[in-house]
Amino acid sequence: MLTRAAQVSMMSLLLAGLMITGCAKRPATTAAQTAAPAPTPSSAAPAPTPSPSSGAAAAPGGAAATSAQTPRPSPREFMAVAALKEVYFDFDKYDIRPADAKTLDANATWLKSNADNLVLIEGHCDERGTNEYNLALGERRAKATMNYLVSQGIQANRITIISYGEERPVCNEKTEACWAKNRRANFLVKPR
Amino acid sequence: MRRTVIAVLFAGLAVASTLGFWAPPPAVRAQAPADVYINVTGGPGGKKLNIAIPEFSVVAGADSQGAAKQIPTVAGNDLTLSGAFSVVAGSDRVPANNPDALRQVWTNFAAAGAHVGAYGLLTFRADRAEAEVRLYDLTTPDFRSIASRKFEAAVQSPAPGFDWRRRLAHKIADDIVLQFTGEAGVADTKLSFVVGPSGAKEIVVADYDGFGTSPVTRNGSINLSPVWSPDARSIAFTSFMNGYPDLFRLFPFEPRRPVQTLASFHGINSSPSWSPDGRMLALTLSKDGNPEIYVLTVQTGALQRLTRHASIDTEPTWSPTGQQIAFVSDRAGAPKIFVMDRDGSNVRQVTTGGFHTQPRWSPKADTIVYTQREGTHNLYAITPGGTNARPLTSGQGDNQGATWAPDGRHIAFQSNRSGRWQVYMMLLDGGDTTQVTSGAAEATSPSWSPRLP
Repeated sequence: MLTRAAQVSMMSLLLAGLMITGCAKRPATTAAQTAAPAPTPSSAAPAPTPSPSSGAAAAPGGAAATSAQTPRPSPREFMAVAALKEVYFDFDKYDIRPADAKTLDANATWLKSNADNLVLIEGHCDERGTNEYNLALGERRAKATMNYLVSQGIQANRITIISYGEERPVCNEKTEACWAKNRRANFLVKPR
Repeated sequence: MRRTVIAVLFAGLAVASTLGFWAPPPAVRAQAPADVYINVTGGPGGKKLNIAIPEFSVVAGADSQGAAKQIPTVAGNDLTLSGAFSVVAGSDRVPANNPDALRQVWTNFAAAGAHVGAYGLLTFRADRAEAEVRLYDLTTPDFRSIASRKFEAAVQSPAPGFDWRRRLAHKIADDIVLQFTGEAGVADTKLSFVVGPSGAKEIVVADYDGFGTSPVTRNGSINLSPVWSPDARSIAFTSFMNGYPDLFRLFPFEPRRPVQTLASFHGINSSPSWSPDGRMLALTLSKDGNPEIYVLTVQTGALQRLTRHASIDTEPTWSPTGQQIAFVSDRAGAPKIFVMDRDGSNVRQVTTGGFHTQPRWSPKADTIVYTQREGTHNLYAITPGGTNARPLTSGQGDNQGATWAPDGRHIAFQSNRSGRWQVYMMLLDGGDTTQVTSGAAEATSPSWSPRLP
């Protein structure tokens, strides 16, 4: 009993020492070092000192699930254009309201006569509700907007959608008038 | 439920905690288990054990970082936060190697209501510190020694995010909780959470009590939903750092290890929830048309789709057995909590009659905590079978984003009751609410780590 207890104690101390001095072994990774300058404050920080991860993501590691898919254009390449008007949604809804359908009809007309433009549709939510659900809700709003444009003859392969959930409000007061402005889908374009 | 301290002591031994073990001093071991009875349940109405933790004594070496004073302070706060102890205030100092003085200190603390005394002896050797912590039963006339136990740490200059004195204090506190409740405390854990306003959110890691906040993302983008992996070595999160909401994994204790991309499909890649064995993640993808729940095998990247419904399905959370997954769906109108089997079959509705999101399955399996929208939001608990729905918060601002501590007794969450979003913790019964963060930036979306390795 004493011997076993002593062993447990020794093991424990060893484990604790390992952790505190930061000799933790890590599995090999195939992820490449990022090219972006990493604002890491100290390269010799002892574990378990959390360290900031660098800005740009590393190349996908072995576990990255992306499969074969067409590349996504960077959202930063898209610009707002005055001719394309925003549409709005009721609370927790993602159907296109009749007045907003007219707005989308006009947007579709512009897109047809500016056929060299790709369009990015952003879906947004107000701050009510919780953020993961709102990310899904914003996705549905962008998708509903996209589907309407496609039904009006816009090619689906010209359209990319993105949801920002509740993360990019245009209005920050806690009023219904303000929330209504945030429950929106808006449009950005870039030349093909 | 009454039990002897000694009996609990041996139960703790059997657990073979990775922290080491308490060795009953020979004098005690020679005695039959005696008449020391402790009844600890914690929480409102539950009886708390009153504990005294005077300043530690330095028996060898130099305490250049004030550990003798700081460790009892931090451990005392840990014991308070455990919900099982009440720390008896007192400024008595114990001179080393002076039994008479120690007896006088315990006499004073016992008069102030203390049931137990914890006294530590610190030895500094080169770059290591050793703490021998002794527990005394202050309800016995001779202040009988209950147990003594040694802890050790490498002495380092405190750095952002790491302080050996705090870590040692957390380990001591967790073990004292183990001795008296039968389950280790949760002080030697971390919280990850999001700081910053809309549009500029970064992820940080801090001690579970909010101290030592240190950034783990600094990409100037929007970073959301950090979730600790079951081995406490990595954090899954959603980030717009590449433009779209993709799913990543970072390694907070490995400074040079790059961020790993977990999922970057068209549409949203969000809402990560680790399987109990850490091999898989449940997540939300909209690549096939609308938000659906999938399971990703981390090592291979293999995907399995679990939901097929025209409505929103999101926010999966695994049961601790790995056999079931709870999630949010608006298939019944406003979002509600549902449960399905691990393969997506046997879907059943858990909550009714409200707007419910953010399900979080207890590590003890018997409870799901979720967020109900009612003007603002409040946290509720319910059984996975859909019975015994009950509020955990009410009447104090907006409360959401619950995360379980590994003991299944504590919950951290975000609340704006103080005017801006901060992280709080409470017991499962809604008691002992404590504000954890108090920074100038808003703090949201907490994730409570497993016990650190």
